[in-house]
Amino acid sequence: MLNRTADSVARATPEPLARKVRGISDKGLAWLFISPTILLLLAINIFPLFWAIYLSFTNFRANRPNEVVKNLGLANYKRILADQDIWIAMQTTAHFVFWTILLQTLIGFTLAWLIDRKFRGHAFWTTIILVPMMLSPAVVGNFWRFLYEPQIGLFAYAVSFVTGIPATQISMLSNVSLAPWSIIIVDTWMWTPYVMLICLAGLRSIPEYIYEAAEVDRASNWRQFWSITLPMALPFIMLAVLFRGIENFKMFDMVNLLTGGGPGSTTEVASITLKRQAFESWRTGYSSAFAIILFVAVFGLANIYVKALNKVKQR
Amino acid sequence: MADVHIKGVTKAFGEHVAVDNLDLHIADGEFVVLLGPTGAGKTTTLRLIAGLERPEAGSIHIAGHDTTTLSPAERDTAFVFQQYSLYPHLSVYDNLAFPLRSPARKMPEDQIRRRVEDVAKMVRIHHKLNNRSTKLSGGEMQRVAIGRALVRKPSIYLMDEPLSSLDAKLRADLRLELKRIQAELGATMLYVTHDQIEAMTMADRIGILADGVLVQIGSPRTIYSEPANLHVAARLGQPAINLLPVGLLPDGGAPAGTRTIGARTEHLSIAKAANGHADGVVDWVEHLGDQNHLHVTVGTRKLVTLTDPDTDLAQGDRIMIRYRSPLYFGADGRRLM
Repeated sequence: MLNRTADSVARATPEPLARKVRGISDKGLAWLFISPTILLLLAINIFPLFWAIYLSFTNFRANRPNEVVKNLGLANYKRILADQDIWIAMQTTAHFVFWTILLQTLIGFTLAWLIDRKFRGHAFWTTIILVPMMLSPAVVGNFWRFLYEPQIGLFAYAVSFVTGIPATQISMLSNVSLAPWSIIIVDTWMWTPYVMLICLAGLRSIPEYIYEAAEVDRASNWRQFWSITLPMALPFIMLAVLFRGIENFKMFDMVNLLTGGGPGSTTEVASITLKRQAFESWRTGYSSAFAIILFVAVFGLANIYVKALNKVKQR
Repeated sequence: MADVHIKGVTKAFGEHVAVDNLDLHIADGEFVVLLGPTGAGKTTTLRLIAGLERPEAGSIHIAGHDTTTLSPAERDTAFVFQQYSLYPHLSVYDNLAFPLRSPARKMPEDQIRRRVEDVAKMVRIHHKLNNRSTKLSGGEMQRVAIGRALVRKPSIYLMDEPLSSLDAKLRADLRLELKRIQAELGATMLYVTHDQIEAMTMADRIGILADGVLVQIGSPRTIYSEPANLHVAARLGQPAINLLPVGLLPDGGAPAGTRTIGARTEHLSIAKAANGHADGVVDWVEHLGDQNHLHVTVGTRKLVTLTDPDTDLAQGDRIMIRYRSPLYFGADGRRLM
């Protein structure tokens, strides 16, 4: 019966197509379907990676393609690790990553916790809170430049309104000590909603009856928070930290738009240094080596972190 | 331990009335089982006593105090949920110690340890005290959940089908165990189930709930042999009671107004038809090992009853059936005396 149905379906298929398809096994067909994706991935991800590894051992300069390429061995790497400016850029990056993650996690989790109270209109507020995340970083960078303007900017105006300091003295982007904080504020403004979403998913995953059991067991709200809410939402919080950490380690677009790494090199995070080396000084081999070092660093740190995350999850 | 007095309590969820004007008094040290199908209002009753729901009308008194508006923590009840409501990131020990570490108690840690170990032995989980609560089997989890209620000395233990998710063997073991523990502690307990065997074996009194209304409450014996109406009669007995229209079989002495006759195994006498007269035919004999289910057709009706394991009745046998003081029900479903 089943065979007969299959036969009749096969007979209904147009002859030329049927002939062609019959020649390919199921596995072959599967490969056929995923091959465009794999080819694309190889072309724009895997090949450039290996090409960059190769270049990192050479003195190649992209603006002089006709020059003879010399193999330098590990010289590029040695120079980078000894370069004072590189280490300053790494410190700037670490400072940026640390504070953005700390602020975003604290504010994001608090917002998620408040939204999870399910007060009237919580769905509306969730949508409002998510708006910054939906904007393009280029747009965000540009309009925060205007907000930060000492003369016409709303931010400077608001700060001077609260603190009494004249607005013209609040130049967030050109003041050496304020500039790093200006990018931290923008990144926090933009990505806290993302952390909130993940934390909210975590909070929603805690079943109601656990809280009811705790309530009957006479646990105070405070104790419920510390012994149920936080430990059970922790894997989600850690996941949000991982995503934001990786993302901010390679932060480029917003910093480039807001300060371009300045004033001086106070906001020059690693990726800005990389861009300056690669496309202003045209030291392609050298910057490739730096990119590889960054890649290995992020990859290594993320791996260690994921191990810790899995341990927390398995509890 | 204390007594619990529920007076005229009503609870509705939107249009649906879950508990309707419920009156129930549970004496100090008494084991009351609420029996009813899904949606009868059993769980809601427990949640009302625990304070997890607020009634629309009526009052709840625990140990003589009006607790109707108090929070769950202020009522001091212990609740075993149907799901294993363990704190998943804590060890078995910490789960059991959780209620004792409440700041409302201020119990020293060595006293907590002693208490937890005692209870762990009681529910036979002491060999797993250091395990993560998520690394336990279903039966072990539920024993921890029961243990977490038992470490406390609350005014009342509330148990919401605690054994329903366990396998038959474990269920039978824990049933006995719970009854023993309850008797030992002299605990006041309100236990909810849809399993008639649990109700019959453990309860001092059984309350039958249907659609939020307490239909009848009494000792297991009373509920079984003197059910107030058809609904109560149908809840107890294995196999289920046969409800037959009057006149189907000869019924000498049925009171006036009888519409339905309820006959359990003990209300029927069955013998092979001797002199050509037969009431029914054996349809099927189900061998269960220690007993047999006898399926019989009488006219257009079927009835099921128990027979001895060594019965000589077989499929197709013509038989004579007589009532032996069965239960009589009127047109409104109430039992007639």
